Amino acid sequence: MIEIRGLSKRFGGLEVLRGVDLDVRQSEVVCLIGPSGSGKSTLLRCVNFLEPYDAGAVRIDGKLIGYEDLPDGTRRPMGARKLREMRREIGMVFQHFNLWPHMTAIGNVAEPLVRVRGLAGGEASERALAMLTRVGLSAKADAYPSHLSGGQQQRVAIARALAMQPRLMLFDEPTSALDPELVGEVLEVMRSLASEGMTMLIVTHEMGFAAHVAGRIAFIDGGRILDEGPPAHVFHHSAEPRVRQFLQTYKDRNAF
Amino acid sequence: MNPDVLWRYAPSLVSGFGVTVLCWSAGGALGIVLGFVIALALRAPIPPLRWILRVFIEIFRGTPFLVQLFLLYAGGPYVGFKLSATTAGILGLGLYSSAYFAENFRAGFAAVPVGQIEAATSVGMSPFDTLMRVTLPSALISATPAIVNMLIVLSKETVVLSIITVPELMYQMQTMAAETFTAFDAIFAMAVFYWLLVETVSRLGHRVEARVTQFLAREGAFA
Repeated sequence: MIEIRGLSKRFGGLEVLRGVDLDVRQSEVVCLIGPSGSGKSTLLRCVNFLEPYDAGAVRIDGKLIGYEDLPDGTRRPMGARKLREMRREIGMVFQHFNLWPHMTAIGNVAEPLVRVRGLAGGEASERALAMLTRVGLSAKADAYPSHLSGGQQQRVAIARALAMQPRLMLFDEPTSALDPELVGEVLEVMRSLASEGMTMLIVTHEMGFAAHVAGRIAFIDGGRILDEGPPAHVFHHSAEPRVRQFLQTYKDRNAF
Repeated sequence: MNPDVLWRYAPSLVSGFGVTVLCWSAGGALGIVLGFVIALALRAPIPPLRWILRVFIEIFRGTPFLVQLFLLYAGGPYVGFKLSATTAGILGLGLYSSAYFAENFRAGFAAVPVGQIEAATSVGMSPFDTLMRVTLPSALISATPAIVNMLIVLSKETVVLSIITVPELMYQMQTMAAETFTAFDAIFAMAVFYWLLVETVSRLGHRVEARVTQFLAREGAFA
């Protein structure tokens, strides 16, 4: 469903991604792990072209995102309208939730339905409420984001993305900004999404979650995928010294 | 203090107060509309336009309001337009404050968290919808306290209009003082009138502010 080939991206002189290849199949959950600054968030943001990439290709269901290939072998930027059409099908959840503070929870979820999907107000509210119910927040429908906890805000953000009925979901460190006690409620929603067969690409530092929910783990460092495979392989049998070192540090830090 | 004098001049004082409120509200409204348009135009990717607007802002912020008002009222006829004192006063207040309001709005736009716009982009919202539904409301909320503050400042700037004979409160007070030799009464009464005006404006302003910024009350607390 997602097909990434030779993806490269630089910020000025810094090469953030250096030829990344990765596939995510229908209904698969893939977790991207690795140290900060390794390029994993950038990789995720290239998938819906929030971050334009320089070389390589990201294809969603076989369709190149962000560029159009021309017959003479060159490419040109994709038209804004076409890009928006592709983005509609890709839900994204951010580290800092990014809810719109002047809209209620239900307003946040209904807004894209009205503006992008063209639903009538009543129908949009109905679907928005159904989505909030699904993430366990129907009671908070009329609350503004400033009156919700971080975990609740993130669940509203997930509902907002889900309401668009995306074909796949991207999560960019969805629990990194949360108090430890609020992490569980967000992971629970993600777990249930995974069990319903949603295709998910997740950047996370939650190794336990990754080990239990992901079908595959990709370890990224220095803009490259160093190792990739089922959780058991990456977490316990990786031959890559960098992967083992990273996981050892993680275990040491979390042991008490 | 001479209550008889104040009583005798009450009609002209009240009418002066009315003119003050009119000039302030009309000038402020003009300034807000103009300032908003300038701030929006500054976002357009047209360098010459941006350059011209920056110069406009710098001129109106960099020169005294009194000088601007004189140029507009007394200098107008030299370049072919003649304005009544009140019209010149309102226009002057509007132009002068628009430079400040434009900066308030600009700062409001700059304060919109990029994540809110990214969220709109990621669901496929069009740039126009993103502007109308996300950027603008968020920017206006951020700009509100500064705008309320500028309106309060502006209400006091209206005294300057008396110099070009706008029949506002200060002008009426000076007339009364000159005709009755009651300088202290006049100044005292004026202080009371202005204090009433500013107090009312800032009370109203705080209510608007509280209403509008409630959405931001705890923003960032979990970020």
